[in-house]
Amino acid sequence: MKYHRIKTAAAAAAVTMVFLLSAVFTDCSLTSFISRSSHLTDIVCKMFPPDTGFAKRIISPLIDTISMSVTGTFSGALLALLAAPICAGNMKNTAGIRWALRLIIQILRSFPALILALLTTFLFGLGTFSGSLAIGIFTFAVMTRLTYEDIEAITLKPYEALASMGAGRGRAYIRAVIPEIAPSFLSNALYLLETNVRHSSILGYVGAGGIGLLLNEKISWTEYDKVGMILIMLFLAVCIIETVSSVLGKIVRGEMRAGKTTKQAILIIAAAVFVFCTIGIAPPDMSRTSLKAVRAMLMGFVQPDMEFFLRSDSGGLAYLILETVCISVVGTVLGAFAALPLSILGSEKLVPGPAAVISRILIMMIRSVPFFVYGLIFIRVSGPGAFTGVLTLAVCSIGLLSKRFIQALEALDMRPFKALASMGTPISSCIRYAVMPQLKPALLSSVLYRFDVNIREASVLGLVGAGGIGAPLVFAMNHYSWNTAGAICLGLVILVWIIDVASAYLRKCIAR
Amino acid sequence: MLLSVNNIRKQFQRSADALTDASFSVGQGEFVSVIGSSGAGKTTLFRILNGSLRNDGGTVLLDGIRFDNASSKERRRLQKRIGTIYQDFALVENTSCLQNVLNACLPDMGFLSSALGLFGKERTEKALCLLEKVGIKDKAYEPVKNLSGGQKQRVAIARALMREPAILLADEPVASLDPVTGRQILELLKQLQLENGLTILMNSHNLELSKEYSDRLIGMKAGCVVFDGPADTDTEYIFRRVYRNDGECSESDKESECSCVKESEELDTEESERSCNKQTKSDVCGRKTGEP
Repeated sequence: MKYHRIKTAAAAAAVTMVFLLSAVFTDCSLTSFISRSSHLTDIVCKMFPPDTGFAKRIISPLIDTISMSVTGTFSGALLALLAAPICAGNMKNTAGIRWALRLIIQILRSFPALILALLTTFLFGLGTFSGSLAIGIFTFAVMTRLTYEDIEAITLKPYEALASMGAGRGRAYIRAVIPEIAPSFLSNALYLLETNVRHSSILGYVGAGGIGLLLNEKISWTEYDKVGMILIMLFLAVCIIETVSSVLGKIVRGEMRAGKTTKQAILIIAAAVFVFCTIGIAPPDMSRTSLKAVRAMLMGFVQPDMEFFLRSDSGGLAYLILETVCISVVGTVLGAFAALPLSILGSEKLVPGPAAVISRILIMMIRSVPFFVYGLIFIRVSGPGAFTGVLTLAVCSIGLLSKRFIQALEALDMRPFKALASMGTPISSCIRYAVMPQLKPALLSSVLYRFDVNIREASVLGLVGAGGIGAPLVFAMNHYSWNTAGAICLGLVILVWIIDVASAYLRKCIAR
Repeated sequence: MLLSVNNIRKQFQRSADALTDASFSVGQGEFVSVIGSSGAGKTTLFRILNGSLRNDGGTVLLDGIRFDNASSKERRRLQKRIGTIYQDFALVENTSCLQNVLNACLPDMGFLSSALGLFGKERTEKALCLLEKVGIKDKAYEPVKNLSGGQKQRVAIARALMREPAILLADEPVASLDPVTGRQILELLKQLQLENGLTILMNSHNLELSKEYSDRLIGMKAGCVVFDGPADTDTEYIFRRVYRNDGECSESDKESECSCVKESEELDTEESERSCNKQTKSDVCGRKTGEP
């Protein structure tokens, strides 16, 4: 018992130390933030009233953005369904192929969609095709991983029973494995569709089509009323998609009954939407792709610049990676602190209905704004550098964290709290002993999950000058110095792998 | 169908459930229980019989045709005549009972129609008829996960029957059910044996139930058959032969087993003759089975 307490205290102290050191390393300064915070409201005020006449120009790129995410998510998820049985350890597949595919998945997973889009634009030209491909690859990697973990978690006895009857493995997989993983698979795919809409709204930044291009242009020209209009339209699109997705999610998980005809109608509509979106994608423009360029690119990744890789000064890879990690740590922790009050206000269990709805709309608004808009706003407050990255990531983390926190709060069992309260225990002790033990695992694992995501997001913050590994990576790619880009990518792959292992370990500790 | 198992062996590196030398035969329309303590090789035997495991030595004959080393096409053809039900049902929990029964048709269907779940009217009708036969037609469109254990086992039986098997392997079919439901399931199996001339080979831990429902008992110990006799053999005697002094099966065990086997072989022929006469000329759905 005593040993356990010491361990908990030591862990808390270690986390605090890491947080403080990271904060110092990333030049976090509360005083400069407060003194310059008037700049924060500047741009936001300029966005209102938005230029409603501009809406006509927005619709077409907005549809492109949604098309890219729908096509990418659908095709990536479908491919994942084929790749997952090859990766699952319990499916009696060839171990060599399994590990090779898992390695590829792990490498692909290390890159944010934006970096993938940068690569695809080099190969397939500017436009929506590159964007869809990038989203597709990203979805494929994430979904394959989630799906093979799902397969490993179910019993394969029905599959073996069908196989022993003489049904082939393919048919047995479709009829006995897919129905069992379908609810989880579909809700993951829906969740990814939501994230992908947000991801694809920034792909235009690197020329991969969609609304990002327009947004970037209007920000550079400081036409903030138009930026405001774009953000409002984007918010509406995200709202619609999230509402549809939450209804579908309920049907998929069986929380809402749907008849056979309803399900068939949903399938037909989904197929129609997919076809419509895919037709809308412009074909790849390979006219500027030369074999020589592709070769140079591949060689760069095969032979990374090891000198740069091993440099230990402030211009080297190690320093950049450390900066990226520190930005993620501080950003995640600050985001968690901001998300806590918001999610308490957004929980219908603790707050009257209408008030909760208002907080939820606020959370969704925060979520729907693409990260580099935040980056460009914060850069006026804290200047180029790591601190801007921290602030951007903190705000970006609020959305997902509050959503998870609210789920945890809704699942809370209030009976122990009432039992303690009825014994005359003070409220603070009731929360400490009846509420916190229930919430702690859920909260910690959400924070850990968001940290995982943030490591990847932090690697693109450099695009807006907010520090980390992203700026040198994009710079190297744009200047065709593929050896440097290869070195940075290698560093990113190793970093993400280490974080994966570490967070899997921490997750086990939390579950205990 | 005549199933004959001759001297089969199976060795495992770690598991104890090995077969050292098992021989017996089962005649058409018999209800035979395989009994024995845990690790005696019962499950291994069943997995070899339904083709999910290969034996190291010996032969398995189905109507005189070698099953264990048949070509994969021949093997699949023979596999079609063997139905299996399991202790933990091995059903797809998220799909309906009807779909689970229809899954038994997959070996005869093309890839596309099975991927899209297009089974056709005839197969669907047959599946519904089987669900009625096992007494669970009202749940046909219910997902399996909403069913009780006994109901699940009924669905599993319907799935096995869908293949019109000549022999039904039941691997501890009632071990995870409560006693009342367990009896109902065995009652159903017995009824299928008597009405349709189905051969049933059941693997069981419950000697009392085995004695009550089956015609013949096969006792296994340490991978060998140590007892083979009628179900009404004295319980005390079976206990001594099959469950006492665990470990290796000694020479004396085998010798006396031989006499036992001879005894039961006589009984076998008698029994199979009897069951041949008894064999009905209709399939489980009551339709005439004139075609080959």
